[in-house]
Amino acid sequence: MLKYIAKRVAIMLAMLMLVSTMIFFLFRAMPGDATAFIVDPSMPPEARELMAERYGLNDSKWVQYTIFMKDLVRLDFGNSFFYGRPVTDLIKERMPATLILMFSAMIIAYLIGVFGGAWMAWKRGSKLESAGVTFSLIFRSAPTFWVGLMMILVFSARLRWFPAQGMRTSGYSGDTFAEIFLTLDFLKHLILPSIVAGLYFIATPLLIMRNSMLEVLSEDYIEMANAKGLKEKTVLYKHAARNALLPVVTAGALFIGSAIGGQVLIEVVFSWPGLGREIVQAVTRHDYPLAQGAFIMISALMMFMNLVADILYAVLDPRISYK
Amino acid sequence: MNLLEVRNLDIDYVTQEGTLKAISDVSFDLKQGESIGLVGESGCGKTTLAKSIMRLLPKNGVISKGEMLFKGEDIVKKSKEEVRKLRLKEIAMISQSAMNALNPVYTVGDQLIEGIRAHSNATKEEAAKRAEEVFKIIGLEAKRLKSYPHQMSGGMKQRAIIAMALTLNPSLIIADEPTTALDVVVQDKILNQIIEIQKQINSSMVFITHDISVVSEICETIIVMYGGKIMEKANTKVFFKAPYHPYSLGLQNAFPSIKEIGEELISIPGSPPNLMKEQNGCRFQERCPFRTELCQKELPELKEVGEEHLIACHYPEKVNEFREDAKKRETWEGVRNRLIEESVGEA
Ligand SMILES: Nc1ncnc2c1ncn2[C@@H]1O[C@H](COP(=O)(O)OP(=O)(O)O)[C@@H](O)[C@H]1O
Ligand SMILES: [Mg+2]
Repeated sequence: MLKYIAKRVAIMLAMLMLVSTMIFFLFRAMPGDATAFIVDPSMPPEARELMAERYGLNDSKWVQYTIFMKDLVRLDFGNSFFYGRPVTDLIKERMPATLILMFSAMIIAYLIGVFGGAWMAWKRGSKLESAGVTFSLIFRSAPTFWVGLMMILVFSARLRWFPAQGMRTSGYSGDTFAEIFLTLDFLKHLILPSIVAGLYFIATPLLIMRNSMLEVLSEDYIEMANAKGLKEKTVLYKHAARNALLPVVTAGALFIGSAIGGQVLIEVVFSWPGLGREIVQAVTRHDYPLAQGAFIMISALMMFMNLVADILYAVLDPRISYK
Repeated sequence: MNLLEVRNLDIDYVTQEGTLKAISDVSFDLKQGESIGLVGESGCGKTTLAKSIMRLLPKNGVISKGEMLFKGEDIVKKSKEEVRKLRLKEIAMISQSAMNALNPVYTVGDQLIEGIRAHSNATKEEAAKRAEEVFKIIGLEAKRLKSYPHQMSGGMKQRAIIAMALTLNPSLIIADEPTTALDVVVQDKILNQIIEIQKQINSSMVFITHDISVVSEICETIIVMYGGKIMEKANTKVFFKAPYHPYSLGLQNAFPSIKEIGEELISIPGSPPNLMKEQNGCRFQERCPFRTELCQKELPELKEVGEEHLIACHYPEKVNEFREDAKKRETWEGVRNRLIEESVGEA
């Protein structure tokens, strides 16, 4: 197992290099002149030239690429054009917000999805079951930003239960992790976006769980569990759901990729100061270093989550052993 | 005293195409310590009957009539919770499919322990000890308790399932074709073990198989089913010497180990009736070489023809003639020709 993980991590690093290369050249192929954004066009040409020189924008692509890769190995993504600060610092600042929102949403989606899906399979054919399917599909198909705005309209503007945007009330400042994230104020800000994201994510675990549960319920070992005189709930959750969970975990790994797209939208709608929103801004600002860094971090995150899903799968299913 | 009394049992399966009458008007008694072999072609309702005793029928299966008195109490009327308490502790099942009857994500030991603890206040350790004991009885090493199902062979898995059925010394064991999934050598060993243990703990048994030769070795009583009804019930020894029902005669022809060497096998032409359709007269009449008009019109009642020997045939007095003719190939060829004629006539 440990050997397997080491191997996977090595492959992950190689893939990250590849992804970084692709990202580097993709950004260079984008239309628009980066110098126009970082160097004020009204400055005298000599000053502009100087600035471009200083940021290395005059070097050949190849030279830029070698420098970029060399720095990358040291986890140095350079300075943001826009903020004028190290990208690594910016990512460090934005990452926790993104992760917390994403995990809250995933926990909501997977908890409700897994239990709800199992329950729906048990209650197969009932009105509640079809209501559950419809409900989850509505939130999957409705545009996330629209759902987000509607929720803001109802719960923030009308009912005033939750704040509409950001992750803390203005004027509040904190420095340590605890001061920023372990506060009631933060929790209040977190609830609405994580529910919206959770609702968007929920269809996948819910429907996969339901289908896989229906399959499992007709297995012989379920009949056996009943024949042993186990309680209905034990059969349902300990025996059936435990097995039905396996495909949900597999799907979860694939799902993480698409989840990131949703995450970006949610962050924009709720002005959530995370990495997703930063990417959108960085791209429109032609802030290459920041956009590159953020993209690479997100790729790394996705690969990591995939690995976690695979390991989780092996933990859940004794038949799987990785070598 | 009778451990189980089944009275006028009807079981239907509700399907999209209509209602399938899987069991109709089945009655029999099972004494304490007795083992009954339940035989009949595939689809005659053996599994349905077995599952109904544990109230484990699939969702679309309903007991529409009758009662099943277990130790004097009607299982049909019991609540879910009451039935749950009976399972494994009083009535245990050794199921048909050894391959998939164990949950792949738990160790076999955990699955045994879970069963024990569902019916007693035993601690984990006590239950584990009991699991070890039954594993020893069934001939599995105690360390196998720590194995996952996929780490065991088919024979081992089947043994583990048998061990499970024995853990609480049930009064009734229901074995539904317990060895069909296994190879022949293992089959024999396991069969013998089941019987040995059943005798040891003096439990009753319903042993289901489509191979009547097995029954001759291990059961005191045999019940022959056809099309959801009992055709004949007899002491096994009596049955194999002198069967009555034409279907039983046909079945005996079809099995090699019962026939003496040199005699040829004759199968019964035709196929079992479609239980979705309304049945007229005797269930077996379509394939019976001795049928008369009466057989096509009137359903024969189960009648006593000897001590604890029951048959459902209009002509028990003609049995000697039937036995002679049933040995002849022409008799059954006649049925084949009749079936062909009838199907041509219909078309
Ligand atoms: N869940 C079900 N739904 C509908 N019909 C069923 C179902 N289970 C069994 N049957 C039908 O009931 C009859 C008896 O089946 P079964 O009890 O399995 O027979 P056996 O065990 O003797 O082979 C067969 O005709 C079979 O097709
Ligand atoms: Mg069967």
